Amino acid sequence: MSNGPKVVGFVCDWSVDLVPLMEGGRLREMPSVRIIRVPCSGFVRPSWLEDALGRGADGVFVTGCPYGDCLNREGNYLMRDRVDQLQRRLQRRRVDPARLGMLAYGLHDGPAFLAAVRAFVEGIRALPAPAPPRSAPAAPAPAAAERETP
Amino acid sequence: MRNMYTAGIVLLSGLSLAFALGILYGEATDRWFFGGALVGALLMAYSGIVLLLRKMGIIGPRKAER
Amino acid sequence: MSTGAGIAPSPPRSRYGRFMTGVLRGTLKLDVWINKVYPADYNPLYYTGGLSNLFLFILVLSGIFLFFYYEASLVEGFASVQYITLGVPYGGLIRGVHRYAADGFIVAVLLHLFRNWFTDRYLFSRDNPWISGMFLLIFGGFVGFTGYQLVWDERAQVLTAMFVGMLRSLPLIGDWLARVFIGGAGVSDGTLVRALFLHIGPASALYVMLWWHYLRLRHPKIWPPATWVLASVGLVFLLAGVIPATSGQPAAPAGRPASFPMDIFFLIPFWLLNYMSPFAVMVLLGALFTLGFAIPYIARREAPQEMSVRHAGVAQVIDGNCTGCELCFFDCPYNAIAMVPSPAPGLSRAAANRTWLAVVIESRCVECGICIGACPFEALELPKFLERDVQAQVLEAVRA
Repeated sequence: MSNGPKVVGFVCDWSVDLVPLMEGGRLREMPSVRIIRVPCSGFVRPSWLEDALGRGADGVFVTGCPYGDCLNREGNYLMRDRVDQLQRRLQRRRVDPARLGMLAYGLHDGPAFLAAVRAFVEGIRALPAPAPPRSAPAAPAPAAAERETP
Repeated sequence: MRNMYTAGIVLLSGLSLAFALGILYGEATDRWFFGGALVGALLMAYSGIVLLLRKMGIIGPRKAER
Repeated sequence: MSTGAGIAPSPPRSRYGRFMTGVLRGTLKLDVWINKVYPADYNPLYYTGGLSNLFLFILVLSGIFLFFYYEASLVEGFASVQYITLGVPYGGLIRGVHRYAADGFIVAVLLHLFRNWFTDRYLFSRDNPWISGMFLLIFGGFVGFTGYQLVWDERAQVLTAMFVGMLRSLPLIGDWLARVFIGGAGVSDGTLVRALFLHIGPASALYVMLWWHYLRLRHPKIWPPATWVLASVGLVFLLAGVIPATSGQPAAPAGRPASFPMDIFFLIPFWLLNYMSPFAVMVLLGALFTLGFAIPYIARREAPQEMSVRHAGVAQVIDGNCTGCELCFFDCPYNAIAMVPSPAPGLSRAAANRTWLAVVIESRCVECGICIGACPFEALELPKFLERDVQAQVLEAVRA
């Protein structure tokens, strides 16, 4: 498979144009990034983001329209707030909040979007390994997690 | 880049002062259209200053947009 | 039923759909250029509604000033406007502000119309802002025209005669409408009294229609960012000072002036009278506005199946799980969720003690799914994009 960190992206259908960027559910340039299309960035439940991290994704991000241009007017602002809150919750549970990202790009911002995703993926690559997925018993957080910087 | 923005803000501030003095002059000499046009120019200079401050990052978007 | 996990969206199949998609892409391409100069949240095209509102506000304030001095009669109309322009300190400036803010209003409203048309912002329940917006455009245009009439210079005289001609060309009701418009068989002092009413009345009605326009929107963006407020007000004042608004020759009672300086913002229908008969112009205007009103109903860019995730069905409340926490109610951008007293306790433990129950007003739902994201209790779903579909896609994504 791909040798990069496994990243899942929820991308709003109105934001960046995915047609030239995707191939079979993955980003052509970064095959370890899987894309899930949603009707609005505000559709994403924070529990799905936690879920993705818990089931083995190394990182997860949400992409919405540029701030001020959400088709549904407020979706990207609301999602930004939810991602902030989730990052604080993750921090309390000693999961690195850098594994969670919120991006805002418009239809023609393909290159900028790819650059931001690449930076996100590189940031995750640099992080120490996370706690094992939830199938493992809840042993006291492995030494790796304690070394994480919030 | 930052220096260019700062230079722009200084320039616009100087122009604003000049416009403000012109407004006073227009009022003193009953040149209403002249004074009024300078009111408009002053407001546009202010809008430029706000824009440059924003591009410098001194004023910023609300937290939900960062 | 999975709505195409990771499969790229398909382009519309009809020629009209492909054309409108091209128009959409072109409209958003403008943003690329504008966002090179302005930060994204200062892009004026995101605030065209707010700019229209701003110009309307300037019009109201300057209009109140002008109203203090205007006298509605054939002789005094022109004379009072001259007095405002030349005799009242800054009167001419405020008159110019009123003129140029009106031009700005029409420009902003048209930008607003085209942007919201080309970016599909009239779908589902957003037809309400669209219809009220078309009324706002019609009334705004008419108010601009009567504003030109009030000056009662030669241009006003020609415009009045032209408009009466256009009204008279309508079958059956034409003569009656023309008599109502000019207050009798011919032009008299009453004409300008009526014109003043037809200027201020519809202008006030604009605010009633704005209430309708905002009705289904939460937090409507009614004010642009500071940069644009300052720039717009400043531009209007600058223009008013540099290019003062002036009247033409006073209208003589028996005069038959043949031409007038053109204004592209409000007077294009009258320019068309150079080439078409009054009846043809009326038919054209009627056709344009009828098509305009019909856009939300006949001008869908994509067929429903082409919309895939964006047409996942009206949000449904899972009654048993709803705890009445009101988070969806606060987050819905279209006021499509109402909280009602719960008729019975919910099924889950968290929902058992609820006081309120969320109800989706289906006619207002645009299927965006923001309420699904807001709900922490799994009490909302989009019928064609369920939580289990999302989780299936997530599993597939991380397994690979």
